[in-house]
Amino acid sequence: MNQALMQMTVSGALMGLVYALVAYGFQLTYATSKSINFGQGELVMVSAFFSLTLTDLGLPYYLMIPGGLLFGVVAGLFVERAGVRLALEQKSEGWILMTIILGLFGFSAAENIWGRDDRPFPTPISSDPIQLFGISITPLEISVAVGVFMIMAVIELFKRKTLLGKAFEAVSADRDAAELMGISATRTIMLSYGLSGLVAALAGILISPITTVGPTMASALVLKAFSVAVVAGLESGFGVVIVGLFLGSLESLTSYYVGSGWREAPGLVLLILALAVRPTGIFGKGVIRKV
Amino acid sequence: MLVVDNLHAGYGMSEVLMGTSLTVKKGTLVTLIGPNGAGKTTTMRTISGGLKPTKGEIILDGTPVQGLEPSKIAHLGLAHAPEGRKVFGPLSVEDNLLLGAFTRLPHFFGFRAKAAGDLEKVYELFPRLKERRKQASGTLSGGEQQMLAIGRALMAHPKLVLLDEPSMGLAPVIVDEVFAIIRRLKESGITLLLVEQSAKRALEVADYAYVMERGRIAVEGVPAELEKNEKVVAAYLGS
Repeated sequence: MNQALMQMTVSGALMGLVYALVAYGFQLTYATSKSINFGQGELVMVSAFFSLTLTDLGLPYYLMIPGGLLFGVVAGLFVERAGVRLALEQKSEGWILMTIILGLFGFSAAENIWGRDDRPFPTPISSDPIQLFGISITPLEISVAVGVFMIMAVIELFKRKTLLGKAFEAVSADRDAAELMGISATRTIMLSYGLSGLVAALAGILISPITTVGPTMASALVLKAFSVAVVAGLESGFGVVIVGLFLGSLESLTSYYVGSGWREAPGLVLLILALAVRPTGIFGKGVIRKV
Repeated sequence: MLVVDNLHAGYGMSEVLMGTSLTVKKGTLVTLIGPNGAGKTTTMRTISGGLKPTKGEIILDGTPVQGLEPSKIAHLGLAHAPEGRKVFGPLSVEDNLLLGAFTRLPHFFGFRAKAAGDLEKVYELFPRLKERRKQASGTLSGGEQQMLAIGRALMAHPKLVLLDEPSMGLAPVIVDEVFAIIRRLKESGITLLLVEQSAKRALEVADYAYVMERGRIAVEGVPAELEKNEKVVAAYLGS
């Protein structure tokens, strides 16, 4: 196969994994509460800035990561408390507007605290390419893939193997019945927002050394992640990885062969196609029900 | 075990319960019968916390529970097998049962080992659930789902079980099976409050019965008495 084609596919796919991770954050909260944080991109960005500040304060990379992740969890819990809980209690869709507002708030706060400029994000992981099957790939890019797969594997194991994880799915299947089993829906939803914040922070920490950190990194990222979530459906973790890989490489190929101005096009085209043809997403499950 | 006193509750502006009172003694099976729309299911939902009462008291084993979150009330020892079964469709039969014991089991690891004995007991009661324990519960037949809903409620070792319309939508032969199970549960000393459309069958197994009409208890008594009450016979036990 054509060398450039391979190269573009692989590096695009790695980028796509980050879209998948942000989309996975959408899935986590959607599963328990049928709500998502529309400010997820800003959460990624603010967590990345916070992690950068930790680094600036002299924290070594591997200690900065838990700090950044913890910030993500707290921010996720804050979004749930401030933007989502009241709306869900009223059975209103107010969380849509509230999470957008919180996102804008995060954006302005970041501009005021950290400035408008994109800043480099230092990392000890090398960005000198190594050759793998004739494709050049940097250890930094590999770290993105490893990070994404690790966190998703841990969360999926939690969901399948622990009772609390099963309770997660029970709330998703039937919130009222789950309450009757003694499972507090409110606490489950809190937990899902905390996890979603963690995932967002990790996405920020993984991607920032490659793309730099700036207030505007949010909007591009979240739009792609949203396309991935919609195309894959809001249920399947496996689905977002596949669609993320696909969209990432498609973008990279488009910008190489058609022109870099067209980079954003595939995500939007896929989004429109999915909404027109299969609104539940490719991997979205129809509800199994026998009466 | 359960005392409900002058309970008022409803949906929005429309009041469904207008002063319902009833008592369930420990180790007895009490049934609540009456026509559609009388407020039987609403009573059950209010007891288990799905609906907040506007007035009145609900005392579960000495603790007032009115207005608490359903998950809190479940922790206090109430298990509710709701109308329409409400099994967790995408989850397996066994996962449904394990979640039934959520209040008693460790939430991360070791829950399977701790629940093994209780699972065996439920499987002994419902052998068909054992055959299908890996199957997604949404694919079970209606009767199997009902058995799963009952089994799931038992997993909690509850002080009181609420059974809402266990025979709804089931074939007569399955209904017989469900009532045989209810009889066994009663004999094993479990305290039950049963809501039933089929008044005749409910009165056959019950120790005490309440007849509900338009949000209030209209008649109450032991089944033998009610079966002699002309009004009750005419309305619910006809022919």
